[in-house]
Amino acid sequence: MPGHVSEVIKDMLPSSLDLSRLQPLVVSTVVGAGGLLVYFLVIWRRTKAKTLPMGDGWWGAGEKPLAEDKEIHPFQIETSDEEIKDLYNRIDQTRFTPPLEDSQFHYGFNSIHLRKVVSYWRNQFDWKKQVKLLNKYPHFITKIEGLDVHFIHVRPSGLPEGQSAKPLLMVHGWPGSFFEFYKILPLLTESRDGLVFEVICPSIPGYGFSEAPHKTGFDSIAAARIFYKLMQRLGFKEFYMQGGDWGGLITTNIAQMRPENVKGLHLNFFPVTKHNLWMLVSLLLGAYVPFLVGFTREDVKRIFPFFEKNVYNMLRESGYMHIQATKPDTAGCGLNDSPVGLAAYILEKFSTWTDKQFRDLEDGGLERKFSLDDLLTNVMIYWVTGSMVSSMRFYKENLNKNLEKRPDSKIGVRVPTGLAAFPNELLHAPLVWAQQRYKNVISYSYMLRGGHFAAFEEPELLAEDIRQFVKKVEK
Amino acid sequence: MGDGWWGVGEKPLAEDKEIHPFQIETSDEEIKDLYIRIDQTRFTPPLEDSQFHYGFNSIHLRKVVSYWRNQFDWKKQVKLLNKYPHFKTKIEGLDVHFIHVRPSGLPEGHSAKPLLMVHGWPGSFFEFYKILPLLTESRDGLVFEVICPSIPGYGFSEAPHKTGFDSIAAARIFYKLMQRLGFKEFYMQGGDWGGLITTNIAQMRPENVKGLHLNIFPETKHNLRMIVSLLLGAYVPFLVGFTREDVKRIFPFFEKNVYDMLRESGYMHIQATKPDTAGCGLNDSPVGLAAYILEKFSTWTDKQFRDLEDGGLERKFSLDDLLTNVMIYWVTGSIVSSMRFYKENLNKRPDAKIGVRVPTGLAAFPNELLHAPLVWAQQRYKNVISYSYMLRGGHFAAFEEPELLAEDIRQFVKKVEK
Repeated sequence: MPGHVSEVIKDMLPSSLDLSRLQPLVVSTVVGAGGLLVYFLVIWRRTKAKTLPMGDGWWGAGEKPLAEDKEIHPFQIETSDEEIKDLYNRIDQTRFTPPLEDSQFHYGFNSIHLRKVVSYWRNQFDWKKQVKLLNKYPHFITKIEGLDVHFIHVRPSGLPEGQSAKPLLMVHGWPGSFFEFYKILPLLTESRDGLVFEVICPSIPGYGFSEAPHKTGFDSIAAARIFYKLMQRLGFKEFYMQGGDWGGLITTNIAQMRPENVKGLHLNFFPVTKHNLWMLVSLLLGAYVPFLVGFTREDVKRIFPFFEKNVYNMLRESGYMHIQATKPDTAGCGLNDSPVGLAAYILEKFSTWTDKQFRDLEDGGLERKFSLDDLLTNVMIYWVTGSMVSSMRFYKENLNKNLEKRPDSKIGVRVPTGLAAFPNELLHAPLVWAQQRYKNVISYSYMLRGGHFAAFEEPELLAEDIRQFVKKVEK
Repeated sequence: MGDGWWGVGEKPLAEDKEIHPFQIETSDEEIKDLYIRIDQTRFTPPLEDSQFHYGFNSIHLRKVVSYWRNQFDWKKQVKLLNKYPHFKTKIEGLDVHFIHVRPSGLPEGHSAKPLLMVHGWPGSFFEFYKILPLLTESRDGLVFEVICPSIPGYGFSEAPHKTGFDSIAAARIFYKLMQRLGFKEFYMQGGDWGGLITTNIAQMRPENVKGLHLNIFPETKHNLRMIVSLLLGAYVPFLVGFTREDVKRIFPFFEKNVYDMLRESGYMHIQATKPDTAGCGLNDSPVGLAAYILEKFSTWTDKQFRDLEDGGLERKFSLDDLLTNVMIYWVTGSIVSSMRFYKENLNKRPDAKIGVRVPTGLAAFPNELLHAPLVWAQQRYKNVISYSYMLRGGHFAAFEEPELLAEDIRQFVKKVEK
């Protein structure tokens, strides 16, 4: 080709030019132009990569005051005899509805099993003991954007010489809480292979001990900004993050806002929101020629049959999301009055989202992976703080607009990312799909066991994956 | 038609077919328990400036609850409910409750036309108490005797104990009820689930149905024709069979139909998948139950009520009427079983393929959740002899605009009788 080109140019140029010097000129011009083009398309765009605008907000009641208290106050969870007595009164006056014969967990939480759970709650569950357990880590509250933000800050107990603890922000989801991390915290705050973390687990505003926003519009971007400000206030310039459920979205948003502060992002939940032709093609072909569309055999196993596993199943399981994204104040009203109603609503998720096949069981398989003490402690966090309604509002604030029109859906995530795909998670996202948003995935693991509440259910597996991811980043 | 049995355990050899008179009763304990629960309600403050966009605004809820606690008189309402004769009879293993209202004075030579009226969710037989006087008085020689049953699982009708109780089962049970009462030919009126159940009866036994009147008839057959009419309907409505009123009520399609339905169908989605979970807390918390039910009486009466701080709740209904309906769900503890009906009706249905050939009258109320133009309705209802664009009113037509509905029923029946 170059020879032909030089022939053409030869014909066009005045014959006085020396052709032996022309060829290198042409080649270098083409290379130069091509290089400029490549630079423009790839490198320049990458260095000018968009970050998510941070914005600002204020969520307190009424008008914003001139000054705000930026102190970090130690906090202790407390309970009282009145609180427990009120709970017992309500439990004792519960009006159960008998389930249909042979319905297991297909109509929701089976009330025959619910009675057993409630009986344990009434007679054996010791909330005062659980509160002591919750207080074993240091709790704090600090005001950000008008809201009291609650968090625990767990430092390693004994730090060996020459090691520094890596800061790690772990964010929970719905219907979980900071308490979900209590099993994984010991595994991350002990030193192994020279790697140890100090962990910050905040409560999303509106959840548990974090104050609920008083104004509309509090979405994951607002939560991300608030948690970023928290990390700043705590003095962390660079940190890792881990999240699932809403925590996955919030930490993703932080990585989109301030990538320069994020050393690495680890997620156990990363549903793909960009539905485009590519995804459709990979779905149509993926079952037959997976390698062609970038699916692994494990991907194929987890995704197909697509309609059954993804569409029908998601329809079966997303009723809560639909009503919470549209009428949260109505949906949560009765649950703030009826502890048993609250427990049924929350624990149904700990059954079905841990393993969909638990729907076929009379007891919903509830205690196969979790203890009743742990499950009820999480429920109690929602109960004693009366935060069910505000926790549900987060769905409306985030899902109100078309997901694909949000500013964060157009911005890629360029920080080093580690993804842990648990087999019983609600939706499986193959690496090729995840990479549409997460541009810098350095670790993708098909986890052996576990469902949606990964940290709660399989803390060792998750801790291991976090560690191997961080080791990769640190290299 | 099929058959079924919904009682507990095994079906016995013989079943009691007697019709037993029934009276609604209450007690001081029942009312005291309600008040204790109301007094211990834990309200969550609404977001500033959110009106009814997040559901039932709890500031207004407090006012409603205060009325409920301090002024609403359940004993008085029970007397009001008992002013019509109530009955219970066992069909397919379940105690089926109904009221049977005969005209008070029947003029010479007139016979009362039997009319079966079926309610929906979250309503009850009580929704018909305003229209019953208008139908059981003789006008232009036309008078009705009305049967209003409660769907099994709703109110005073026993809830099914076995899975699978769908509208076809309810239709068959109500048909057997009409048989047991000795009616060989009858009219029917329905909205919401009542519309589907009466449609099913018309599909099962058209020979017994003189006429079917509906105030809701959502179109379930989505096909090419519908899509074409949607695409062209805004521009050349006459070409696809739309009237100007149709165009006004349907377009903009996405906004009015798709987005709005998505905004308003969360309850349907969760009830059709996890009814036992969704209803659990509501059976414990009367205020939670009231918020859940009354939100529908606000939004389904006029969607614009979502912009109001008080949800426009008392513009068309009195608090006494609204709370009486809520109390029917509360004292019978039937919210969970009422929700299960959504799940049972979700499965594949034989009735979708069968047309309805009995004389049909359709009343399209302007604030109904979805508007179905005549051309769409005719895909299923093959013998529509009356289609009315009603002047006012929303989903709870009989409750909100009893005169308008009664008038439309009468003019429809007159047409059939010709």
